[in-house]
Amino acid sequence: MTPPDHEQRQAQTSGTESHVTFLVEKARAGSTAAFEQLVDLFQEKIFRMIYYRTRSRMDAEDLMQEIFIKAFKNLPQLRKSEMFQGWLFSIAVNRVRDFQRKKRVLSLFGTLGEADEFDQLNASTSDNPDALNHLIRQDFWRQVSLLLDKLSRLEREVFLLRFMDHLGIAEIAQALNRSESTVKTHLYRALKKFKEEQALHKLLEVEAS
Amino acid sequence: MSERKNNHLDDDQLLWAVVEEAELPASVGAHLSSCPQCFARKERLEQKLARLGQKAEIFAPLHRKKVSLSLDEVRSPHWWSWGWRTALAVSLAVILIAIWSSNIFVPSSDTLITRLNQEMLEDERFMAEISLLEENALPSLFEDISQEGNSVFDEEFMEFVVPSVEDEIRSHNPIVKGAELC
Repeated sequence: MTPPDHEQRQAQTSGTESHVTFLVEKARAGSTAAFEQLVDLFQEKIFRMIYYRTRSRMDAEDLMQEIFIKAFKNLPQLRKSEMFQGWLFSIAVNRVRDFQRKKRVLSLFGTLGEADEFDQLNASTSDNPDALNHLIRQDFWRQVSLLLDKLSRLEREVFLLRFMDHLGIAEIAQALNRSESTVKTHLYRALKKFKEEQALHKLLEVEAS
Repeated sequence: MSERKNNHLDDDQLLWAVVEEAELPASVGAHLSSCPQCFARKERLEQKLARLGQKAEIFAPLHRKKVSLSLDEVRSPHWWSWGWRTALAVSLAVILIAIWSSNIFVPSSDTLITRLNQEMLEDERFMAEISLLEENALPSLFEDISQEGNSVFDEEFMEFVVPSVEDEIRSHNPIVKGAELC
């Protein structure tokens, strides 16, 4: 990245951040329109964040709706407006964890597994009818799953938030309610396991070349 | 510094450089910024991680439903949500079970007396049946056939139908019979 590019991106980021802070202030004052703008800004991110963890579009849509409603209700509890993203992700992380816990309990009765697979298949084929692309996509998510399965719960969460949700260390610490040093330690451990995942590395190298 | 130049970053230091470059010791940080080889290694790893994020974005589906902040949903407390409904159903079930078990296992004094009276009456009825059977064990159906209840057949008639053994012997000729025997 050339220095002017970097400066331009930094300026854009800080501009967006100040805009977000401004919208948060307005929403805290009771403006639904301002919160709707915040939804527009963050819904893609939150949707993807949930999808990475649930791998179900329908579940991700339902949970996203709940998360934003919860955020809107609890907005007055947010102390610093500039910490909105970390705070929103903390709501999302907790909600997804609750969802997965319930799902695990329900799966004991064997009622959920098939429905989810169907949902995944349905989503994949309907969004991308091209068979080759579908296979590439499947292969990618299988490799990611193989990596994530080797990580502990906290390592997985830290890794996902850092490299797939693009949060900073401070935001991750806020979202997980942990210290920054704990986050860094778990990130280091997760990276060590990522480095050992040769198949995923090859997949990412092939894409680069 | 020149010594440090030859000591390239090991794998752990490289990972820490990706996690947080500022966490590295000053000498390692200085080497990283001056050594193109180590910097390239770090860049390669960071690029892979960035690519992982990009691919995840590309391979994630698009959401179809937009978030709606409908006023009803925002304002109304979720008193009828899944959790509340479950809690309500569970508490109702507990109350019903408690009422049912209290009736079964802890009868009131009135219920107890009534039940005892019923049992006593049943016992009395049963004892009356037993004493009746002691007096006449035969059921009424057989009373007509039996001797006791039959007044039509008198002693004489019965003697005719079933003569006594003594009379039967008397009817035979004892001398002839005796001679034959000797």
